[in-house]
Amino acid sequence: MSGGPLPAFAASVDSVMEALSSQRYVIDRGLATAVYLALRLEKPLLIEGEPGCGKTEIAKSLAAAAGAELIRLQCYEGLDASASLYEWDYPRQLLSIRLHERDRTPAEVETEIYSERFLLRRPLLRAIEGSGPVRPVLLIDELDRADEEFEGLLLEVLSDYQVTVPEIGTIRAKQVPWVILTSNRTRELGDAIKRRCLYAYIGYPSVDKEVEILRRRLPELPARFAGEIAEFVQRLRGQDDLAKRPGVAETLDWANALLALGEETLRAPTVAETLGLLLKDARDLETYRKTRLGAVLASP
Amino acid sequence: MKDASLPFPAGQRVLGRLQGFLARLRDEGVRVGTAAGVDLGHALETLPALDRDAFREACRVTLAKSPTDLARVDRVFDEYWTSWVGVPVPPASEEGKRSAPRERRGTASGIPPRSRAPEVEEQRVTIEGRYSPRAPALGHPLVPVPAERMRRYRSGARRFRRVTATLPGRRWERAPRGSIDLRRTARRGLRTGGEWLELATRDRALRRTDLLVLWDVSGSMREHTSELFALVHVLHRTVRRTRVFAFGHEIEEITSLFRGETYARALPELSRRLYGAGGGTQIAHCLAEFRRHWQTIVRPTTTVVLVSDGWDLGETPELARELERLKQAARRIVWVNPYAADPGFKPETAALRVALPYLDLLTSPSGFPRAFGPNRGAGVGRAAG
Repeated sequence: MSGGPLPAFAASVDSVMEALSSQRYVIDRGLATAVYLALRLEKPLLIEGEPGCGKTEIAKSLAAAAGAELIRLQCYEGLDASASLYEWDYPRQLLSIRLHERDRTPAEVETEIYSERFLLRRPLLRAIEGSGPVRPVLLIDELDRADEEFEGLLLEVLSDYQVTVPEIGTIRAKQVPWVILTSNRTRELGDAIKRRCLYAYIGYPSVDKEVEILRRRLPELPARFAGEIAEFVQRLRGQDDLAKRPGVAETLDWANALLALGEETLRAPTVAETLGLLLKDARDLETYRKTRLGAVLASP
Repeated sequence: MKDASLPFPAGQRVLGRLQGFLARLRDEGVRVGTAAGVDLGHALETLPALDRDAFREACRVTLAKSPTDLARVDRVFDEYWTSWVGVPVPPASEEGKRSAPRERRGTASGIPPRSRAPEVEEQRVTIEGRYSPRAPALGHPLVPVPAERMRRYRSGARRFRRVTATLPGRRWERAPRGSIDLRRTARRGLRTGGEWLELATRDRALRRTDLLVLWDVSGSMREHTSELFALVHVLHRTVRRTRVFAFGHEIEEITSLFRGETYARALPELSRRLYGAGGGTQIAHCLAEFRRHWQTIVRPTTTVVLVSDGWDLGETPELARELERLKQAARRIVWVNPYAADPGFKPETAALRVALPYLDLLTSPSGFPRAFGPNRGAGVGRAAG
């Protein structure tokens, strides 16, 4: 197993910033340093932060910048080895047994059905087997949703980058994938997994950064209107009584919607009609539509 | 971390300073392992040695493992590296400050910060005051509870875990959807002459609980702290997915105090952290703070255990709003009140009256084991959830 060549942009923090900026990802120096060190030290990068602030997007941008395949493992409660590593294709195995029970010996049938032809490769195994010219980017998304047992499985895979399938043998990575793990902090991850990772946190962006993100993602959005949108969202985020604050993803969706509606400036009726794109909690939506929206729009 | 591998002008001296820096971080509660120190060494090899910002970012990326850690690394960095090879010390960059959520240093629930390292001179503050015999004593005196009571708490916590389980455990059970159960499929095939006409499926049985403990450590709870600590500790040990928050007039997470610590070892540490805790309770304000900063940890599977006497200084309409929101987000809310076992107890404080409609169970610490026993009468089981 070898690390494999580094992409050209792994030469410095500045070139990482440039490479990700070319993918329309607005990155600050702190996060760029984390990505740079993850590439140079060949360590997994754990990114935590508020929902909708670009944790998943950074893996996509990194893969695109490096010309690498992005392999995504979306975590959920009950995720186990069969859904993340590999699984035998039982229906096809049963069919094969029935087809060959007359013309082959039981030993031959057994060898046949436990061959790689019947192995369903899941994301972790696919990342380890990755044989392209560039090592793949493995995104393990929302790890906090998975159970603690899955973290144990992940430790084993990420430390040796190999998987043992009892019927076939050990499959070793030809080149170590770049691994990015994300978490929304719905639970604390185990110390063991944290120890193996570099760490970064993405919070809500400043107004200027959010304007830049809007301009980068939606070039057709006028600068003045982008500023209005970003400032309104910032004011909304500052409200103490919100159950769920809007992330950058919500801002982008909202800006897109306003563009689609042909708006060029923020007007109270349109904002009220489209507020559901920013506020995803029924009570928040009701409160702000009925009573608070005017104050948030009017405040400087 | 080898000296030779570090790109510093005066390797040995700087290595010593780095070790001192790591020690300071550990003293501040950042769990920095040897591997993280080695990672920092390797990171510094790839970054410009005299760039203070790059050095700070390398420390953040390699040594911190949580938002709280990030804030601590920033603070200790500024305090410790005050004379970094003669470069003037700028304050932490705005971006860096923004990307680290605010740290709760303990004034929060009244819990004071950890002691600073001896090499940093403490700011001297002169406090003038007069002695008053009516003033409450500082701190929460903690004494171990009898072993028999601890046993009762443990068995109660195990029952609690079973009754409130909402997460999949290790055991399997039949399920209409799930993975294929080969053994049962084969057995079922015997009924149809060996033909596997139907695949049997199975899924993990619900065996685990997702628990959130909100513990009032205000002055009025002082005399019950030992008892409640025993209960909270047992809950944390029994239920693997537990987060613990202490609140008074502010709220902060104290789960790390419990993690991996035995009852005997955690007791003096908590006693030290709670020294100075006291004052009134503002439950609604603390629940609002919790919602603002930690709302994502409350899920439809979460059981919330609110430990408080309900003597609240805050606004009751606000408390009702916060409890309603908590109730909507969580599976169930259990209120543990130290006075609930008293014979004449009635939930008549303003906060408790407001809270009652949102509670699945109101119990006392001593009643907690019984509440989840075989003859439980409180009706907090799955059916009520």
